[in-house]
Amino acid sequence: MGAFVARIGRAELACIVLSVLAFSVPFLTHDRLFYSISNQIMIAVIAAFSVFIMLRMNLISFAVPAFMAIGGYAAAIAARNGLTDVFALMAIAFAFPALVALPLGALVLRLRGVYFVLVTYILSEILQLFLFETPGLTGGSNGIAGIPAATFFGISLGRYEYVLLTTAGILLLATVITAATTRYYGQQFSAIEENEVLAQSLGLVVWRYKVIGFVIAGGVAGLGGYALVTMLLTAHPSSFSSFSGVSYITYAIVGGRTSILGPVVGSTILVWASNLFSSQAQYSQGLFGVLIVFVIFAAKGGIVGTAEYWLKRWLRKRSDPGAGDDLAPVGRSKDAA
Amino acid sequence: MRNKYYLAFPVAAAIAVLSLSVASPARAADCELKMGVMGPLSGGAAAWGDAMRLGAEFAAAEANQKGGLKIGADTCHVTVLPYDSKYTVEGAAAGGNYFASQGVNFIIGPVGSPEATGVKPVAERNGQITFNSAYAKDAIGPQWPLAFHQVVGPGTWASPVVAEAKKHFDIKSVVVVAPNDQGGTDIASVDADAYRAQGIEASEEYYQRGTTNFAPIVARMLSKNPDVIDTASSPPADAATMAKQLRQAGFTGPLARLGGPGTAQILNAVGGMKNLGNFYWAEIVPIDDPKVKSLWDDYKKVMGKAAPNNSLFATSVAASRLVLKAISKAGTQKDVNAVRDALRSLPVVDPNLGKGAWTGKETYGIAQEMGFPVGMGMIKDGKNLGVRAIDVTTK
Amino acid sequence: MNGFIAAGIIGISLGAQYALLALGFTLMFGILGVINFAHGAFYVVGGYFTYAAVSWLGLPFPAAVIVAVLLAGALGYVFELVVLEPVIQDYLATLMLTLGFHLILTTAILVIFGPESPHFEFPVSGAIRGEGFYIPYANLIVLAISALAIGAIYLIMHRTDFGRALRALADDRAVAAAQGIHPRRLFPLAFAVATVLAALTGALVTPMLALAPNLGESVLTTSFMIVILGGLGSIGGATIAAFVVGIVEAYSSVYLGGSQGALALFIIVLVILVVRPRGLFGSEFVGH
Repeated sequence: MGAFVARIGRAELACIVLSVLAFSVPFLTHDRLFYSISNQIMIAVIAAFSVFIMLRMNLISFAVPAFMAIGGYAAAIAARNGLTDVFALMAIAFAFPALVALPLGALVLRLRGVYFVLVTYILSEILQLFLFETPGLTGGSNGIAGIPAATFFGISLGRYEYVLLTTAGILLLATVITAATTRYYGQQFSAIEENEVLAQSLGLVVWRYKVIGFVIAGGVAGLGGYALVTMLLTAHPSSFSSFSGVSYITYAIVGGRTSILGPVVGSTILVWASNLFSSQAQYSQGLFGVLIVFVIFAAKGGIVGTAEYWLKRWLRKRSDPGAGDDLAPVGRSKDAA
Repeated sequence: MRNKYYLAFPVAAAIAVLSLSVASPARAADCELKMGVMGPLSGGAAAWGDAMRLGAEFAAAEANQKGGLKIGADTCHVTVLPYDSKYTVEGAAAGGNYFASQGVNFIIGPVGSPEATGVKPVAERNGQITFNSAYAKDAIGPQWPLAFHQVVGPGTWASPVVAEAKKHFDIKSVVVVAPNDQGGTDIASVDADAYRAQGIEASEEYYQRGTTNFAPIVARMLSKNPDVIDTASSPPADAATMAKQLRQAGFTGPLARLGGPGTAQILNAVGGMKNLGNFYWAEIVPIDDPKVKSLWDDYKKVMGKAAPNNSLFATSVAASRLVLKAISKAGTQKDVNAVRDALRSLPVVDPNLGKGAWTGKETYGIAQEMGFPVGMGMIKDGKNLGVRAIDVTTK
Repeated sequence: MNGFIAAGIIGISLGAQYALLALGFTLMFGILGVINFAHGAFYVVGGYFTYAAVSWLGLPFPAAVIVAVLLAGALGYVFELVVLEPVIQDYLATLMLTLGFHLILTTAILVIFGPESPHFEFPVSGAIRGEGFYIPYANLIVLAISALAIGAIYLIMHRTDFGRALRALADDRAVAAAQGIHPRRLFPLAFAVATVLAALTGALVTPMLALAPNLGESVLTTSFMIVILGGLGSIGGATIAAFVVGIVEAYSSVYLGGSQGALALFIIVLVILVVRPRGLFGSEFVGH
């Protein structure tokens, strides 16, 4: 059992357990607000996972909303044309953005980190323009409304409870994929994150792993897009704005970029807070800003990183009260190099 | 490392206080009626969301001044809960669910087309009446029996406004300009059709959302040599910039705005009617009508500050008043279907907006649109010709 | 032909505005490696502070601009010293903190001034008019001020001790500190300068266009694009990139329309980056 846990990783196992637990929400309550917030949190977690995969290589990707849109729209168009099996739709939602990410990544990942960041931001803008210019395919600025509900072995998944279960299923799939990717390629990603040039000189084909990460992150984002479209029964351009990409990055960083639990914790807290603040009228954005500043100020390595640090210190002090403060400081300092 | 915690405590305290204020229990009263108001309260469309919110709050204050709203045997205090739906589909959907958890069955708003798209299915599921002001082609419909429409859509008023404008200005060709999102395309395309139906050559120009300098767009529009340039539903700040730059570029023809509210803001930003020269626009209410104008004065008297310039405020007040009247007539705030029937049965009459009718049967398939007379304003050669009323109840 | 020249003139005016706008961002991001997400918010703040100085305090426009940008600079200085300085080496934390500050500033403006655009005019109106083209005097003033500001920053960065110290800090903070350069004194000052530049752009440009609380986001996108296109570490590169972007935007918008024009602009920028991954004039290996 211990070996199994060690293979998968404690944090990764915790995430998988949490997403399995998510299935229980419809059975625990009927409160609409709880459904709504849980649904939003689950979608945010998937998007934050997509950000996380690239963050493991020290790359920030603003393209998450673009890939979400590709996955969501692809599934919506398929559903509108008669294909409603939920597994087929999930596969489409993963495959399409992943396929687009492949040539795109090959082109774009030659660029250094900061250039990559900007290019991904431009990709989001390009996608919005593409949606606008193709009304025949994507409904243009109106989007695609009235998407038929997905079916699970023939059973229609239209009811709100079933929508939640569908999202939980998508979340589970996304969690497993993210955990598997970041564990399996963990060493390579870390090497790239620490010092790309050094890794390259030691024989690592850096570019190849970047593309792998980008493709899988694209697919995971596509799953998130499908979940979003399912929740709203509409594929609409305003759901995939480039500024929403900033939100997903915030969830991942505030939660903590060193552990897969980071996106989960960050999304949960920030989405819940955002809902809370939306009822505060015009102060909603400002309150969110205050929260971000406060959390980063108090917990530089993200919430999970800081929690791990304090937990390790506490455990150390318990086993050896005389131990000094010799643990590395929280968060990564990026010195110029 | 002292810095790390220095700010943390006051900020934490602030957040704690704010959370408490949100979670605070309802005020103790005979009974309470909660009315929700939803719209973009931040971002580019905040002026509209704000107007919607202040309108609902005014109607509530009016009712409370009379001691509360009579519902059956009780007299209830009216509370308004705002929600920032951020002009997105999921923002409005989340808002609908938030209101459901707060026991709110009546929502004034939302404002924009994406928001209407997002809230309608959720509100049907939750059993909530909504009263949106979106100009979307499917703003309401028979598949959403609880959705009402606060304003008359351009499909209805664009033609009579164009016909009236033709009488005062020489119009043979027009360029309609709007942003490249649903808020732009829904209205600009309808406007262009209305112009074409009256024999005027019309072309549509869509600009990238977020543009601040419109000089290239202006140059492009002018190269088509139009008689009139119509800013349709462009946000007021954008339309104001375009007006400034058009006049600067030497365009002397009339400008127009066959779109949502915002003309007052444009006039303000451009610096008055003289600078604008020739201009005609659609107002969602006839703002020169003394009874309509008195609404702004009443607001100042009751609330102690100036009402927003945006005329969406007026329809928000009217819609809120109708909803409150319907709840009182139905004698219940729990049975939403009864309130809907009461609302449909009420005559569309408002102390400030005058007499209207339930319109929309032809355009949307369901007569749940609050059809008050709309306004058409004109400025000719820098002189204000006033805002005249245009009756739309025949459709 | 008139249209072609007119579009070119518009492009140059746009380029001048973008150059001034991107200058502060270049300083922070291109040279110091700090992604300042609040750049757009300071642009808006510059506009509103100037508006307040003119309408509430009755100051003449040039005095109002000076007061406004100095106040904005002070705000930036304090923010950097108190909030950013502890995490300035962590680019992700800096990104988040400046993002939070952007949201706070924008909301504050919205709450204090309301969502509607106020009446705010550039004091100089009128234009040079020629055969089929026109150049507003306001644009010429902005062009002149851009040139002055760019020249001044270039001189500061390459000819003064302050500039040299900043560039040393950006290259290798530890070594620079060991040589006696005090980051804690210099970085807040550098941030204040960047803030002043953003506020100055806002103060000059918003009366020509429009003033509203939400203008910050698109300003940020443009700045980002220009600095990357120009290449990190290069003030000259960013300036040239600003004019490239302005001219491309003008021509594509005039001939393709706003929506397709924007698409063309983005694709051109992408292509340039793919062909020249360091940007047009990218040189120093800054940051990460």
